[in-house]
Amino acid sequence: MAKHWFWWSMTWACVIWYSTITIYVAIRGGADIKHMLARLDATKAREAREEKEG
Amino acid sequence: MTHFNWLLDGSIVGLYLLATMAAGLMVRKYVGKVEHFLVAGREMDVYLGIASLAATEFGIVTCMYTAQNGFEKGFAGATPGILMAVAMLVVGLTGFVIKPLRDSGVMTIPELFEKKFGPRIRWAAGVVIVLGGLLNMGVFLRTGGQFLVLVSGLDVKYLEIMMTALLVGVAVYTILGGMLSVLVTDYMQFIVMSAGLIVVTILILMNVGWESMVTTVEVQYGAGGFNPFINPTMGWQYVLFNLMLNTAAVLTWQTIIARVLAAKDTATGRKVYTRTSFFFVCRFLIPGIWGIAALATLGPLVNSLEAMPRYLSTAVPPGLMGLLIAAMLAADMSTDSSYMLTWGSVIYNDIMAPFRKTRWSEKRGLFWNRSIIAFIGIFLLLYGLWYPLKGDLWTYLGVTGTIYLASISVLLIACCYWRRANSWGAGAAIFISAVIPITYLVIEQVPATAALAKSIGPYYSGIATYLLAGAAMVIGTLLKPQSTTQLTERTG
Repeated sequence: MAKHWFWWSMTWACVIWYSTITIYVAIRGGADIKHMLARLDATKAREAREEKEG
Repeated sequence: MTHFNWLLDGSIVGLYLLATMAAGLMVRKYVGKVEHFLVAGREMDVYLGIASLAATEFGIVTCMYTAQNGFEKGFAGATPGILMAVAMLVVGLTGFVIKPLRDSGVMTIPELFEKKFGPRIRWAAGVVIVLGGLLNMGVFLRTGGQFLVLVSGLDVKYLEIMMTALLVGVAVYTILGGMLSVLVTDYMQFIVMSAGLIVVTILILMNVGWESMVTTVEVQYGAGGFNPFINPTMGWQYVLFNLMLNTAAVLTWQTIIARVLAAKDTATGRKVYTRTSFFFVCRFLIPGIWGIAALATLGPLVNSLEAMPRYLSTAVPPGLMGLLIAAMLAADMSTDSSYMLTWGSVIYNDIMAPFRKTRWSEKRGLFWNRSIIAFIGIFLLLYGLWYPLKGDLWTYLGVTGTIYLASISVLLIACCYWRRANSWGAGAAIFISAVIPITYLVIEQVPATAALAKSIGPYYSGIATYLLAGAAMVIGTLLKPQSTTQLTERTG
């Protein structure tokens, strides 16, 4: 471990960082999708209204 | 004998496929315009961007070549991942190139070139991007199929059928939902893919053990298995070529840059870069560990590309095998969908630009975008079946990617930061960086010249392409006679 500390640290940094970011992105990414679709819906409704009003 | 259990593992895989298809098809109702289809209406936020970028940039093909790197070069094989992570972090922190690009409001890189270099360069850049990108993507299907067949223990004769079924499934939701379907399915695929990658890596580290892997690399490759500069198959030329390649990819690779262009603003695009950067170390090191574990378990005499899936087929227990295959399918589907969409966007937006003299209706634009994706799918099936891959996979991808990475990165930097850069320089850079890699690929395939290609090697040819593309931009620009307007501008 001491001899190849760089690769040992990199390997465990990958496992720990990746596990953490997966959970975090799973939670926040779901919210991002919800907001993105809501914004697209609102834009669509606004454009339809504007078209109707001429 | 593989550990794949059709009832248990097959159900996990089937459930994953159903959920992905359903999610991909559900969002198609939000697509009303070409802008929704190509850049998701520019509504993508940071975390969805991270999930999408990570899922797109990790396919089965990535897992195969990075594991092959670990098997053939030891830990040093993860060097390209570290270089890419550094490049992405620096670009994200500084906003180098990506800030002016996103601020310009374009949908593709060649669209920006038209403003500086004119419509011909936009068209030529589009052709080069599509050529390099599709040649690169051509090997994805077969390599992905190879992995799935080996891990699940299916007969090789089913490889083509499986590849076709997978591609058709991905094409259906991409054609209907465009970037919106890609983002939503990428998010699901990121979670499934990451869960599989993490669990399998921990299992390998526990079963094979760190000491055993280190000893194997020491015995097979000596100090070169840990240090790329002293590895006889790598050296400074490998590191330099990969530094140039990965920096250019971070700046211009269509699937990466599509996330910046789909981001809701420039700051979001930069955050996606900085926060995803370390993923690129994981992208090389995690499958690299799998490759080293395969080397420790199976020995050095097996086919280096097939070693990792062969090892996993017996090392991963039933139940977990379903998660691994679902993870790999997730990785592959997210990559295929995004690649088809983003290269299709360049064909529509830039190569077909001269044919859109009058403004097309949104309906017509969507029809053409969808048709282009279908054509790309057909090309992938045909090319993927007949191209004989020689040498290692990462090098093939590097050489075909260089066809456009060298010229487009030079053009993009000049476009953003060199006022004097002009169409002569741009044209010369495109020509040089297409000719060198294509010549290399051809002489590598022709038996009479294969030895010459081997003596030059892909790294020197790659480095020469980047340097000469830069030189061509400078020389071409300086050679062009300056117009009166330009002279007046500079003399005040």
